[in-house]
Amino acid sequence: MKQMIGDIEVRAREELFINIHPIQAAGRLTPEAMKAMITYGDGYSTCDWCRQPFRLDKIQRPPIDEFHLELAKFVGMDQARVVPGARRGFQAVVSSLVEKGDSVIVSSLAHYTEFLAVEDVGGIVREVPLNQENVIAGENTAQKIEMVKKDTGKLPKLIVIDHFDYMFGNEHDIYGIAKVAKEYDIPFLANCAYSLGVMPINGREIGADFLVGSGHKSFASPAPSGILATTEEWADKVFRTTRMVGDVTKRKFGIKEVEMMGCTLMGANLIAMMASFPAVQERVKHWDDEVKKINYFIEEFLRIEGNRVLSEMPRKHTLTKVDTTESFDKIAQTHKRRGFFFSDELKKRRIVGEFPGATRQWKLNTYGLTWDQTKYLAEAFQDIARKYGITVA
Amino acid sequence: MTERAVEETFAALFALIDLRQIFRDTKPTYQLNKEQERKIREITKNVRQSLDVIEKELIK
Repeated sequence: MKQMIGDIEVRAREELFINIHPIQAAGRLTPEAMKAMITYGDGYSTCDWCRQPFRLDKIQRPPIDEFHLELAKFVGMDQARVVPGARRGFQAVVSSLVEKGDSVIVSSLAHYTEFLAVEDVGGIVREVPLNQENVIAGENTAQKIEMVKKDTGKLPKLIVIDHFDYMFGNEHDIYGIAKVAKEYDIPFLANCAYSLGVMPINGREIGADFLVGSGHKSFASPAPSGILATTEEWADKVFRTTRMVGDVTKRKFGIKEVEMMGCTLMGANLIAMMASFPAVQERVKHWDDEVKKINYFIEEFLRIEGNRVLSEMPRKHTLTKVDTTESFDKIAQTHKRRGFFFSDELKKRRIVGEFPGATRQWKLNTYGLTWDQTKYLAEAFQDIARKYGITVA
Repeated sequence: MTERAVEETFAALFALIDLRQIFRDTKPTYQLNKEQERKIREITKNVRQSLDVIEKELIK
């Protein structure tokens, strides 16, 4: 790509290549979001029509207030806020509920930012072990709660479990975990960073007290962007407004929400989320087709002798961990480019997004590819295999 | 200069983004179906028209 913005390379990999990067797939912008980025890129662009009570989610032009209401409905919760990434959603909830020394239950496949959110307030993470299928179930969660109770004499203050994890893309039993959380009367945050925006998610049906989503992972939005939604029961606590008064000036900023640091996701990122929203509402209805495509791809991928899938099967998510130790890694052992031969071969076929040089365990994501692209991708892997004498059944 | 030149600038940019989406939908072979071919013809025609208006508005 010859085009440059000063010394910044133009990023055209989504136009030039099939990108199978595990975490980039569902954050790719819609055309509407791209247009929004062009027109709302200026710093405080969302503030043109900010009037009393001077808070982002109250702005009517563009209809940011309406978007917040619709977003809450879309995720089946009472209130929603946009935040700069899912991590800021975890942080807001943990900071509101957890105090120094408190235990927080997380998954053994928890995202690192859940750890950081707990550490930030002096809490302690207690991980629920995976079962044999690399899944977190309600039963394991209940056992961990009992263990914490026995060890500390207190119940955990919060349960945070990922709906689909970043490592395997496995589905964890958030419905069962929500039930356990209710039984112990512990608030439950469902981390839906890999599900909210690609498949139907309803917090009320799950029984979650908090839902967190990621704009740049699963909502066709730029980074950072995310969603925090909750019920009326918890809204006053997590979205509490400031009561601070300046001792000299007596100033107070009553409408501003403490955990949101006043206004949250200003400018182009929010408007791009809003612009993508209609397409996101539509695309979640077609999640089944995305699941069909990944399962088709995996079926073809497994025809290559030695290939394995480390994620649960059949696939319930497009993010998938595979193992090519017994196929492409054997070639890498003697190839002069070592593992990079595989990246070279993929790139020759206009495919990028694998971890460069990795030929053992690595992840891919087929979300958003058309059927033609999915078939092309499957054939490309088989073509590489045949070229190097690996049997394709 | 009227607002029209600015409007047409955005119209052209938006049309080119629609073209960008066609690249995304058809990569890496770019084999177009009839509807995509029709859309590309429409986009390029609209962009040319926008450029004509911009030129006319700004360079008398």
